[in-house]
Amino acid sequence: MSRDPQPQVGGARIEHREEAELVSRSLAGDRAAFGALVDKYAAQARRVARAVLRDPDDADDAAQDAFLSALVKLEQYDPRRPFGPWLMRIVANAATDRRRRRSVRSAEPLDVGVVGGGPRPDTAAERSALSERLRQALAELPERRRLAVVLFDVEGYSHAEIAGMLKIPEGTVRSEVFHARRKLRTLLEDWREPS
Amino acid sequence: MMEKLPFEHEPDAELGAALREALAPAGHEAFVARVMAGVSTTKPESWDILAGWAGRGIAAALLVALGAGFAAGRAMQPSNASIEEGLMTAPADSGTAAAALVRGNNPPDASIVFAVRP
Repeated sequence: MSRDPQPQVGGARIEHREEAELVSRSLAGDRAAFGALVDKYAAQARRVARAVLRDPDDADDAAQDAFLSALVKLEQYDPRRPFGPWLMRIVANAATDRRRRRSVRSAEPLDVGVVGGGPRPDTAAERSALSERLRQALAELPERRRLAVVLFDVEGYSHAEIAGMLKIPEGTVRSEVFHARRKLRTLLEDWREPS
Repeated sequence: MMEKLPFEHEPDAELGAALREALAPAGHEAFVARVMAGVSTTKPESWDILAGWAGRGIAAALLVALGAGFAAGRAMQPSNASIEEGLMTAPADSGTAAAALVRGNNPPDASIVFAVRP
């Protein structure tokens, strides 16, 4: 299960209390409580890792490293703050570290046909093709830009939260999201328009 | 459709959904199981601290139990003096001396058993 992009304020407060309780139980040695946190954030962590590492297996390895690292450092988490941004910061760092360690080859240049034209994604095959092209377009973006747009538009974190995760000014986050959207939306619009 | 301004403060739902689908991971249960398998060999620093406290607690409890057992054992142990005193104070023709010998856990001093009473 993944986090809703725009949780309601009341719901978010309850969710935060529940998460703080799960963290507290995890710290007391309750593995099932930590398992509940893993179950809740697994999909999100894997998506964020995949925004950094194109290979899904690498991304899963990074997400796993991040969860285990979070478990070791669980005492450093401030229960007054939401758990998601704290965890996603670890995920982003784990993915970046893995990419640096493995010196992943730079993304291949986009095909000429990637940005521009193409059938509407009505069928499963077309949607799959759109996904592949989006992944390619995402890979073309600088890493920080990829993370910013995925954390904002996919995971629903605020600019301020993303600024905290990536350790950059909030204005820079806005700018990164702006530039990423401009490129990715061009691709999306071209797919949406009837050919 | 209205043109989407890229500098909006709200998440772009359409782009977000497309990206979510593009980045969607498969095999959720398998991934969670894999992480939890790693958890069995990983533990937070606090668990070490708790384990340290638990170890010290168990050691302290063992010491207390040993001490209590030793004290209780000493309190329940019959003393040799009681047998000998029983023999010395019992009248010669009474069965009290024999009874004291039977009751005792330890062998009495032979010099007392065979002592000739005037």
